[in-house]
Amino acid sequence: MRLVPTAEMTLGPFFPPEFAAGANDLTGQVPGEVIEITGRVTQLDGRALDNVVIEIWQADPQGRYDNPDFLGWGRAATDAAGTYRFKTVKPGAPYINFLILYSGLMRQLQTRMYFDRGEADERLVAIREGASRCRFDIRLRGDGETPFFGD
Amino acid sequence: MPYVVEPRDPLTQSEGVVAGYAQTASRWPGQPLARRAPGAAELSGPARLERRLPLGRSDLAGRAPRRAIGQLIEIRARVADEDGTPLAGAMVEIWHCNAAGKYIHPNDANDAPEDPNFYGAARLLTGESGAITLRTVKPGAYPVPDSGGWWRPPHVHFSVWGRVWLSRLVTQMFFPGEPLNEHDAILNAVRDPAARSRCIARLVPKDHILVYEYQMVVRGRNAALAM
Ligand SMILES: [Fe+2]
Repeated sequence: MRLVPTAEMTLGPFFPPEFAAGANDLTGQVPGEVIEITGRVTQLDGRALDNVVIEIWQADPQGRYDNPDFLGWGRAATDAAGTYRFKTVKPGAPYINFLILYSGLMRQLQTRMYFDRGEADERLVAIREGASRCRFDIRLRGDGETPFFGD
Repeated sequence: MPYVVEPRDPLTQSEGVVAGYAQTASRWPGQPLARRAPGAAELSGPARLERRLPLGRSDLAGRAPRRAIGQLIEIRARVADEDGTPLAGAMVEIWHCNAAGKYIHPNDANDAPEDPNFYGAARLLTGESGAITLRTVKPGAYPVPDSGGWWRPPHVHFSVWGRVWLSRLVTQMFFPGEPLNEHDAILNAVRDPAARSRCIARLVPKDHILVYEYQMVVRGRNAALAM
């Protein structure tokens, strides 16, 4: 039997606030270098977007994705200034997966935040702001648009 | 066994700028989406998400004298992957507006009344057969602001997790026989008629309640069975 995946649809503008909150801190599970990841999400005209839901998936500090003691998944929503925030431990992998859900997006968008340039597109590399802060802005469409993946 | 997730079929999955849905032109990327070979980060996924996301109630309708206004319904939703294998212990988030078309959300400017006995969000885990059951009231239709008269047909929002990161599914369930279904910019952005009709639940009337059955298929299947 082969079933066809259900059609994805937009998150819409009314994702419950209690679902969007309270899941953006991945620290306190395993030892590691604590970092804060923050950024601003904007649309075509440069306007910052409120209530954008961002989910991340990352390895533990040793690079493992299946460590039963480390849940490498988190969720945050942008505030009225378009800013989201995660607190986590630095993964033992070159990047963190990002997924974006929002009203006006027919389905999820996928991208990655890299820690170092390496092979990555420079728009996917986090900007270091101090020892423990990474900045990763997301431009959905327009000048300086973030590259997204279509897999 | 290796798990595979193939690229989306543009006939059964919508994307891009959609006529009649203005925000898509400001938000969907203008550049083509890049292809990447899925690796360990994409073919793994969160287990036991209830560690971070607390489970919630499975009854949004309540009981008299605190019963929500509206037609009492039961939604029986099942989650399976592309092999048809039911997903047990999968997290399912559900949210919808009340019978008058009003969400419990600060950004909902619709002047429809709130219902103090209605709570519009549920978070459940699927059982052994991959299914969840939600008792609730049927949501109303609601107008989309500044859209030239677009009314969303009654629908229920779903968010589910499959086996791996690439299996994440966020979608909407529609109700059969709703005239607004024919005009909805979101439902009709799915070009394949069969894929579109699978987004509409099946009505199975029971003695004391209207039951709607719905199946969600998340992306991915076992490579060994794919031959
Ligand atoms: Fe909705």
